[in-house]
Amino acid sequence: MAEQPLHEHTLGNGLRVVVCEDHVVPLAAVNIWYGVGSRHERAGRTGLAHLFEHLMFQGSANVAEGEHAALLESAGAAFNASTSFERTNYYETVPVSHLDLALWLEADRMGTLPAALTQANLDNQRDVVKNERRQRYDNQPYGTAFERLCALTFPAGHPYAHTPIGSMEDLDATTLEDCADFFATWYAPGNAVLSVVGDVDPEKTLAAVERYFGGLPAGPAKPPSRPGELGPLTGVREETLDEDVPSPAYFAMFTLPIDGGDDVEAAELAVEILGGGSGSRLYDRMVRRDEIATEVWAGVTRLASGQSLAIVDAIGPEPDKIAAVLDEELERFAADGPDADEAARATAQAERGFLEQTETVTGLANALSQNATQFDDPARVFTAPGRAAAVTGDAIKEMAGRWLAPGGRTALTYGGAS
Amino acid sequence: MTSGLDLQPRPVPGPVPAWAFPAADAGRIPAGPGTLRCDLPGRRLAAVRLVLHAGAGREPGDLDGVATLAARALMEGTEPGGGTALTAAFERIGASLYAAADLTALRIALDVPVTRLDAALELFSSVVRRPALDDADIRRLVRERLEEIAQEDADPGSRAMRELRAVMFPATARASRPTGGSRTSVGTLQGSDVRAFYGSVVPAEATAVVTGDLSGVDADAALTAALEGWANTGEPLPTADRIMPESAARIVVVDRPGSVQTYLSFGHGVPDRSHHDWPSLMVASHVLGGGLTSRLNAVLREEKGYTYGMRAGLLRIRHCGLFIAQGAVHTEVTADAVTDALTELRGVVSRGIDADEHGSSVRALADRAPAEYETARAVAAELADVSANGLGTDYPSAYLAAVRASTPDGVARAYRKHIDPEALTIIAVGDAAQIRGPLEKLGYAPVTVTAKE
Repeated sequence: MAEQPLHEHTLGNGLRVVVCEDHVVPLAAVNIWYGVGSRHERAGRTGLAHLFEHLMFQGSANVAEGEHAALLESAGAAFNASTSFERTNYYETVPVSHLDLALWLEADRMGTLPAALTQANLDNQRDVVKNERRQRYDNQPYGTAFERLCALTFPAGHPYAHTPIGSMEDLDATTLEDCADFFATWYAPGNAVLSVVGDVDPEKTLAAVERYFGGLPAGPAKPPSRPGELGPLTGVREETLDEDVPSPAYFAMFTLPIDGGDDVEAAELAVEILGGGSGSRLYDRMVRRDEIATEVWAGVTRLASGQSLAIVDAIGPEPDKIAAVLDEELERFAADGPDADEAARATAQAERGFLEQTETVTGLANALSQNATQFDDPARVFTAPGRAAAVTGDAIKEMAGRWLAPGGRTALTYGGAS
Repeated sequence: MTSGLDLQPRPVPGPVPAWAFPAADAGRIPAGPGTLRCDLPGRRLAAVRLVLHAGAGREPGDLDGVATLAARALMEGTEPGGGTALTAAFERIGASLYAAADLTALRIALDVPVTRLDAALELFSSVVRRPALDDADIRRLVRERLEEIAQEDADPGSRAMRELRAVMFPATARASRPTGGSRTSVGTLQGSDVRAFYGSVVPAEATAVVTGDLSGVDADAALTAALEGWANTGEPLPTADRIMPESAARIVVVDRPGSVQTYLSFGHGVPDRSHHDWPSLMVASHVLGGGLTSRLNAVLREEKGYTYGMRAGLLRIRHCGLFIAQGAVHTEVTADAVTDALTELRGVVSRGIDADEHGSSVRALADRAPAEYETARAVAAELADVSANGLGTDYPSAYLAAVRASTPDGVARAYRKHIDPEALTIIAVGDAAQIRGPLEKLGYAPVTVTAKE
């Protein structure tokens, strides 16, 4: 869609609302970001934010168990939720005729979730989440790599040292009281942003939000968050694993600047130039020319209350060679920076990425919630291509030298099948 | 309850707004591919999809995997040893090129901001007409495919799918073997095989689709310029076989020692998408495993916590379909999960489908279409797919209408007619030492064990 004006409002209870018209399809996307994720969990209760996310689908005061999903499924809605380090996100994209129902459902669970919290629901969803952990991480080759890298990168107890899925032990230890406390602490309207994008009338939509959410009490102010800064890594911390995986592999993690400034824009382009896709330096060197890897991938997880993270994964028979070539390429990149064509390509790809992210009502609603939650500026989403285009080759070089230096990373080496 | 809480009564939604699958204008490039053009106002990312009637189903004997390799080699460029030049050229204009083969077709996909569609189509043209398909690249791609096979086999879900096809289709059917080829077949493929295969593609059998906000763009002219005069001279590819899957009760354990979960897959053959019962079978699949409230999830996930989620659906193959219900369950409860799943799979036969769940599934399948086809990419992919399968551009609309017109009894009848719950192929990828005995005790079917490779 083309860029549209945003309509913003904050309710008396603190709920921040962003509405954007988009009349391409007769849909409405409803998206809520709560400012709570795994970084807010306390020791011994890892996984609670995500487990709680599951409980948000088990009913509330006026919604029976299973009814949330039943109402949305029978409206042809796409709906789900996700939990990451810094936030928990709930969303549904509905036929615009069902916008009020979607708002009402979100308001009911925002206001009355504890009314439906039962030991049976907790026990059931704990089992579901443990199976999610098995399916997505424990029973997948290399499935625990990200979790292990976070534990290697951050000191024990640091907010980002554990990932949202949590440990089996902590999931087992979680009580109903933990869940009720978690809701009371974090699920206040003032700790949420609600975005609505679609075939809607902004004034009527803001009025509907006021109608359904305006009667929810403000709740307590959220507790202060622990600091998440770490800075660039110094030294290489490595772990060797003898898991039964199909092939040896080398996984590396680097810290990057915190999201929100110019630095992270340059740092992300640096990672893209190094390892983003088959035109990148690492792919060309390792897969195409040296043939020491059959697959190389690099990507960035932007974080706004702690260091962003870059990951480089490579699969190949001799991880030592991969590590050595990675060092060479990092050294060369830090010394020379990108050439003009590499920088231009990375900028053009960033523009397509922006279009892909925002071309659906679902994607745009999520981006608005994110930018409002993390940067107090939902319209910042529309500046993404410009921010990428403003990055200079010198800035990319500087970021590569500071954050992607040969000597500063954590790494996992998989030895391969026995 | 909570002080100061003031809630509104639950609103009653009005009727869902009307929506129609976008219409496409059909044309043909002289002596070349058919074309479909679909203007989608507001979609700034344009999509081009070229489907070649050269899927794995038409690979010459012993060359399993050559279609997949050809697709990958297309992305390597137009000059031998060209390295990253082609990828860089697409990246420079913010475009992306992707190609892949399935049993039915070799599909080439181009996504680009519509302002740079012309430039992207010029590059696309050179890829289609003059790919290098160079020996050195293909040697490397063979190595990468061999590694990919190892990775696929280590993934429980893809390993289960491979085994399901191998067990259900007779060995002479191409569908019985991995679409991208096996270790043995891929290991022997050469650059000359790939060049011969691609050289046999018949441009007039292909379809080129372009979608996006095409106002101010002469998309037909750009497509014609890109593909007119593209010709191939090779021998025609063999015709794809139409061998049907064989349904029978059997349980195959694929041993995965130490596995903490068992990946379960229940399969049965069904007719192809052109059959009038297909929409009803889609509704039946949705009732069983379409969402959180579906019968399988209501029991195996929400009641028992055996799984993160089950799903049921129909696998589309050009000449047939497969009904597949699948999901991963905790190793300890494998046999109990199979028992519960069988109860639900039998339940559609024994107790039918009630009006509420039918209505809910119909709305879930039909009313999600506007979201499903919101992007130019999704519309282009669907148009390309119906074209590759010989279904016609009115198929998406006719399918949605047939889903809406279905009835609870009709859906149950179609299920009974095409799916015999006593003749399911059950694949269980898991720790044989722990699950074999309990599965045998079920008495559903003989259990065989496939050793880990």
